[in-house]
Amino acid sequence: MDREQKAPQVIEFDIRGQLCPATLLIALKELNRCKEQLHNGKVQLAFKTDNRDATITIPEAAGNMGYGVEVRHVDDGYLVVIERGH
Amino acid sequence: MLTVAAYAVVMPVSFLLGCVAGFIMHRAGFCMAGAFRDLFLFRQAFMLRQLLLLVAVSMILFEAARVMGLLPLYPFPSLGPPTLASLVGGTLFGIGMVLAGGCVVGTLYKLGAGNVLSGVAFVGLIAGSALYGEIHPWWGAFVRSTVMGNGSVTLPEAFGLSPLFPVMLSVGVAGAFLYRWQRHGKLQRHFRVQGHVQPWLGALLLSLTGLCSYLLVGMPLGITTSYAKLGASLERLIAPRHFAEVAFFKGLPLDYRHPLTQERLVGGPGPAFDAVAAVQYPLLVGLVLGGLMSAVLVREFHIYYRVPVRQYGSAFAGGVIMGLASRMAPGCNIWHIFGGLPILAGQSLLFVLGLFPGAWLGGKLLTRLVIRD
Repeated sequence: MDREQKAPQVIEFDIRGQLCPATLLIALKELNRCKEQLHNGKVQLAFKTDNRDATITIPEAAGNMGYGVEVRHVDDGYLVVIERGH
Repeated sequence: MLTVAAYAVVMPVSFLLGCVAGFIMHRAGFCMAGAFRDLFLFRQAFMLRQLLLLVAVSMILFEAARVMGLLPLYPFPSLGPPTLASLVGGTLFGIGMVLAGGCVVGTLYKLGAGNVLSGVAFVGLIAGSALYGEIHPWWGAFVRSTVMGNGSVTLPEAFGLSPLFPVMLSVGVAGAFLYRWQRHGKLQRHFRVQGHVQPWLGALLLSLTGLCSYLLVGMPLGITTSYAKLGASLERLIAPRHFAEVAFFKGLPLDYRHPLTQERLVGGPGPAFDAVAAVQYPLLVGLVLGGLMSAVLVREFHIYYRVPVRQYGSAFAGGVIMGLASRMAPGCNIWHIFGGLPILAGQSLLFVLGLFPGAWLGGKLLTRLVIRD
């Protein structure tokens, strides 16, 4: 089986400043929408948020679905990156 | 009326407690609106467990203080007998806090952390509290006609019992659940950001702030009459004639003797600088500053205003509903959960009971009307 080693496409969502729990609802919706591409490693989803709560709830939800999650502190908030589980 | 010494105690104490509570709530993500909302929206009870911990620990602290004779005002001032108004108020409050994205306290620490929508909810809270003045005459009649029981304020009082046994029983039941959750790791959260406070530690510290307030101010934390005061001040400025006709703003429902100084403290929702202002304004400012300090220290303070217009509408409407509901109940979630529930006050039990259907309904409105494609 030949494996493509192409870097995944990063789709970024800016949900800074939004009403709680819009961040988690949007993340869940996008996780479902991009389920296949996420599973076969074609895309990574990156959610930009300034909501401390979302840095816990999004990784928890994504982790439960078997995805890999990374949270980075960037200049203007946090970046929650979700990718294929390892 | 001399109140100098009492003000010298309650103002700095309230300010400090506000700063501490705002800081802890921000770091621990201690969102009480989320606690109730997420039970229905995400089938997630993590924060409700923390609230139960907070109430159980407050029960122990308040009861220990009472037994040691440190709480001469028991039940504390401003608590009346349970009425249907608390249930209705709690339900409306539940809707409001979900739509606003935070409760009366969450709005303040989030505002401090730079959240623009919380600022909008804050304005809504002031408007809603002032709006209550318009319905006060007939709502007051409804309150008086739906008093439950024999006029007792707390459950133990209603059954002619000392609070000790009912409180111990409640703590025992809550403790059994909490012990089980603790063993299964359901009270811990995995944080991925710096400077966090575990919510269980937040709950313990917040119950201590409640005790400090009860001991030093004479009652647990309360904030919402100050929103009515701000509303009254604005109304007097904008529509002085109408303001003069609103009876609600002339009432002085708070009237008690400050336990530490023995001075009489009197106040109400009117614009005057009275005991309500001395207790609640510093707390309000403290909560905002606590959130601000916390956010700045972890480099989280940012202001974004580019959010969907619908969310602005929701935050404002939620604020108005919460402001209105907190005067109808009367009291807010922090008053009833941090203060009334630990002494098994009838009003608080009904208010919290009302929060559940309110949060459910709020969640439905939020997902159908506000956050959608």
